Amino acid sequence: MAYLSISKVTKQFGDTVVVDNFNLDIEKGEFVSFLGPSGCGKTTTLRMVAGFELPTSGQIFLDGVDITDKSPNQRNVGMIFQSYALFPNMTVEQNIGFGLTVRKLEKDVIKQRVDEMVRLIHLEKHAHKYPYQLSGGQQQRVSLARALANRPQVLLLDEPLSALDAKIRVSLRSEIRAIQKSLGITAIFVTHDQEEALSISDRIVVMNVGEMEQVGTPFEIYNFPKTRFVANFVGSLNTAEAQVLDPANGLLTMDGIQLQTHEGIIGKKKGDKVTFAIRPERFSFVAEGKKENLLEGTVINITFLGSVVRIQMQIGNSTFNMDTFNRPSLELPKIGEKCQVTCSTKAVLILEG
Amino acid sequence: MKFLYRLRNFPFWSWLWFIIGALYFILPLLATFEFSLSWDPAIPWKAYQRAFEDNDFWETFIYSNVLAVATIFFSVLLVVPTAYWIRLRLPQARRIVEFITLMPFVVPAIILVFGLIRIYSSPFTIPFTDIQLMQPLTNFKMGTNILIVAGYTVLAMPYMYRSVDTGMRTVDIATLTEAAQSLGASWYVIITKIILPNIRSALLSGALLTFAIVVGEVTLASFLGVDAFGPYLFLLGQHRAYEPAALSFVSFLLTWFAMGMIQMVTGGQGQAQGAH
Repeated sequence: MAYLSISKVTKQFGDTVVVDNFNLDIEKGEFVSFLGPSGCGKTTTLRMVAGFELPTSGQIFLDGVDITDKSPNQRNVGMIFQSYALFPNMTVEQNIGFGLTVRKLEKDVIKQRVDEMVRLIHLEKHAHKYPYQLSGGQQQRVSLARALANRPQVLLLDEPLSALDAKIRVSLRSEIRAIQKSLGITAIFVTHDQEEALSISDRIVVMNVGEMEQVGTPFEIYNFPKTRFVANFVGSLNTAEAQVLDPANGLLTMDGIQLQTHEGIIGKKKGDKVTFAIRPERFSFVAEGKKENLLEGTVINITFLGSVVRIQMQIGNSTFNMDTFNRPSLELPKIGEKCQVTCSTKAVLILEG
Repeated sequence: MKFLYRLRNFPFWSWLWFIIGALYFILPLLATFEFSLSWDPAIPWKAYQRAFEDNDFWETFIYSNVLAVATIFFSVLLVVPTAYWIRLRLPQARRIVEFITLMPFVVPAIILVFGLIRIYSSPFTIPFTDIQLMQPLTNFKMGTNILIVAGYTVLAMPYMYRSVDTGMRTVDIATLTEAAQSLGASWYVIITKIILPNIRSALLSGALLTFAIVVGEVTLASFLGVDAFGPYLFLLGQHRAYEPAALSFVSFLLTWFAMGMIQMVTGGQGQAQGAH
């Protein structure tokens, strides 16, 4: 059995199913992110692991022990909240030591562990300050130290970076990941920010309307989205409909333009409609001699996005975006001009849902 | 130039209304104080001397203070867990509870005390039998004390509940509770170590208001026949002129002293809560 096992968990509020038949096994030391839009059930699932919500059905096992019905203070899990949730009446040291005091550890042990945690989060100079005297980033680091001081079996992070500004967010997420790796602690991270999830996780669970859409490594989720939702939610994507020409050889046609996929199309027959997707960065201008997946279109718009230039084109009846690196030697077509672009067979993804 | 600039930006109307308001409160107080000193021009503090020399003053004052402390204790015991639970788990019950806590504004104290006397002046019996469990509460001293503290708890409820509820609104009670729970804290630890310290100033405000109500209350004390400070002041006012003025002024000073203490005790708390 996996270290943390969420088995067939469903949560209903009244008639509304918020989490539907959620199954997930997490190994010890793994960093898993729940990614999805607001209301997809990711926080509810996390709160069920923490014990703040009870599942309507299903079970949760931690290190082989059924913790489904245990109250939050009987589960050895650490929780980090979006709003930091530091105790305003306590200093940084007292906040970090709170869980240890509750467990009635000896004073020397508490002092030693608090000092260790304060060093871990690099707030030695702020140990005697109250939360209101700290910045948002510092408060969240204290919150992390407070959760880790108890040496929890699982660390739960509920959108911990959402209330911080962009720069702090990036540096703190690296810090969280580094600490998690160094301590080898199992962590679940809830976020709606795909960049955050992709950069920090061992695995990502993409959720939508209470269901798991796809589970995989960041590489798999980004490069091989299985459903239209995952494809659209993670990164930007061009999607369009096409007809299957030759399922065995993975040949499609869209408005008379032929497209070749890398593998055969399973479960479809000639004439069936499918939805395919191509990431904007997988397009390139046509090199000489290239014949595969050759698409001709009209340039509709060109947008500079700093390091990237986005070219919007009309190809057949669909609109496609192409991203290319912005470099001084880049020769761009003009709006209204015709241009030819191409992509590899691996770039053409057939979506399930 | 600087002077003219300052003059132009001087908030004249704000200051005018502030001064009018302040005079409205300060003038009667000054008049009372001056009157209390005018008994005997040779001994200006005579009214104060006489009032403090009276044994009845000290007995009733101490008794009312004890009642006030007991009322505050039971009010906190009743209101804090109620307000906490409503914020945490039963937000849908807030309107009902608010309505109940406002009842003392609608139902006068005289009705409350007649209700108490009507119900608790009969002995407690086992229903449908004549077996008596306890004699009527109004028949013995401790029973009357219980009744009056219960009555005062009801009268103080609008003030205590509002103070505590407002205090809880300023801190994110739900998240703090969850944070404490995830760190292994029990309900007792959460309430004593997290909730109460973070609503300290609200509790003190509620306690001060409760204290002020109980110490000066006349109706309940008179009808339940207890020798409290309120009826004593009332009687004194009917028979004497200068001592009531002196005691009124002292009461004001005591209230201000208590408010000053609250400010001192809760000095940094407002900041701490505000930053959360």
